Amino acid sequence: MPTPHPPPAPSLPVWDLPTRLYHWLQAVLVASVLAIGFLAPEWWMGIHVWLGYGVAGLIVFRLVWGVFGSEYSRFTSFIFSPRQTWDHVRGLIRGRPPHSIGHNPLGAVMVFAMIATIAGIVATGLIALGGEENQGPLAGFVGFSVGDGAKEVHSILAIALLVMIGLHIFGVFAESWLGRESLIRTMISGRKRLPPGAALLNPRPARRRAATVATACAGTAIILIGALAGTVPASGLIAMPRQAAFQEECGECHEVYHPSLLPRASWLAMMAGLENHFGEDASLSPDTDQAIADYLAKYASESWDTEAANRLRVVDGAAPAQITATPFWKRKHGEIEKSVFETKPLRGRGNCAACHQDAGSGRFDDQMIAIPEPERPSL
Amino acid sequence: MRTLLILPAAIVLLATASAEAAPRRALLDDFATQAKAADPGFTGFSASRGETLFRTRFTGGKPETPACTACHTASPLKTGETRAGKPIEPMAASVTPDRYTDPKKVAKWFRRNCKSVLGRECTALEKGDFLTFMISQ
Repeated sequence: MPTPHPPPAPSLPVWDLPTRLYHWLQAVLVASVLAIGFLAPEWWMGIHVWLGYGVAGLIVFRLVWGVFGSEYSRFTSFIFSPRQTWDHVRGLIRGRPPHSIGHNPLGAVMVFAMIATIAGIVATGLIALGGEENQGPLAGFVGFSVGDGAKEVHSILAIALLVMIGLHIFGVFAESWLGRESLIRTMISGRKRLPPGAALLNPRPARRRAATVATACAGTAIILIGALAGTVPASGLIAMPRQAAFQEECGECHEVYHPSLLPRASWLAMMAGLENHFGEDASLSPDTDQAIADYLAKYASESWDTEAANRLRVVDGAAPAQITATPFWKRKHGEIEKSVFETKPLRGRGNCAACHQDAGSGRFDDQMIAIPEPERPSL
Repeated sequence: MRTLLILPAAIVLLATASAEAAPRRALLDDFATQAKAADPGFTGFSASRGETLFRTRFTGGKPETPACTACHTASPLKTGETRAGKPIEPMAASVTPDRYTDPKKVAKWFRRNCKSVLGRECTALEKGDFLTFMISQ
């Protein structure tokens, strides 16, 4: 005689469609933006930033939906007292956690922690973008040192988020196993089994119109403020007139390096020793030498707050006028194959513009890097 | 009809030729005066001595540039390259017509490159020979 099947447990709609869409979209975006941030080369930064804006947009939506969404999406439905949280932990330790219809107390803590961390990553990312790169809505407001500090925090928070994602996934599998119900399937179908004896609540419905209006208002306000802030000129860059003598005399033999790439003392020492200029006599008439030295001193790295100016200000003591000898230059170019530098089109390390398409402006934006394929010797 | 076309072309050619010939003549005359002052036995510049100067490897200069040909290639007709990778227009006057027309530029590059390659200033005789060779190319 076959054992009778137990009657199918009643299931309840828990995660509404916007919450489920938010969850999976955010999972994909966060995974992509983290992967690019940690693994991709510098010139992927443009994509990283745009994905970051996407993450920020989703966070804004989730905050709105946490107020106007349906019952189990609302923040107020998953704020637990320390006592409830402790009871949950005790149940977990015994292997019999109390059933939760929506988020369990530990999951709820993780949701809030992840939303806060992602918001923090977006904020520090914007500050770093404005301060270090002179890009984005904060370019006109944040200096390099603040941006550099924000980038440190940005990285630390990103590592923290990775840990949280790991814990979140572990928690999902643990609760799925203990509760005999796949929470992954729950986040796809939106329905969760009703525990025996659990009384149906009077769930609050979603206030879709209010959510739409709030999202539209918040989104428009953020985009407008961002666009308006973006019109403020970048704080790290100053106006620099062209000097014909500088362009012509230096450009006859090599790329015309932006004056912001070396400190004043380095330029002046170089201009005082042109008779032996990197192994060649590059002497000028005294008045031309003086004019170019004055120009370089005026627009040396001390006058700029770009990343290049700040980083390259620290020169090598033995070769204070050699940009490629600075510790930062060496660190940033250490992983590039020697053949790239030695073959055409680079022919040496001094040809910045071969890879940095904006070298002439002194910006050296990450997105403007394009390392050319070394030309193969013709047989 | 053909003469009508050839005539203006010839005038333009002659005009440009003379426009470049005059400053070169002046440069060479200047070097000749100096050479004669240095050596009363001076009889004139020689393109073949200029070519020898162009091709000789020296040891007195900077190790990076032992000869003119290090950057200018062995052929005055070819485009050279600075050590930093920038192209240098061919040295031959026939290929780069505006060469040897600006006395300041000529003085600057003789001063720099003679020091880099030979380790000293070039004599007026050497400069005149070199120029004669390049103008003949």
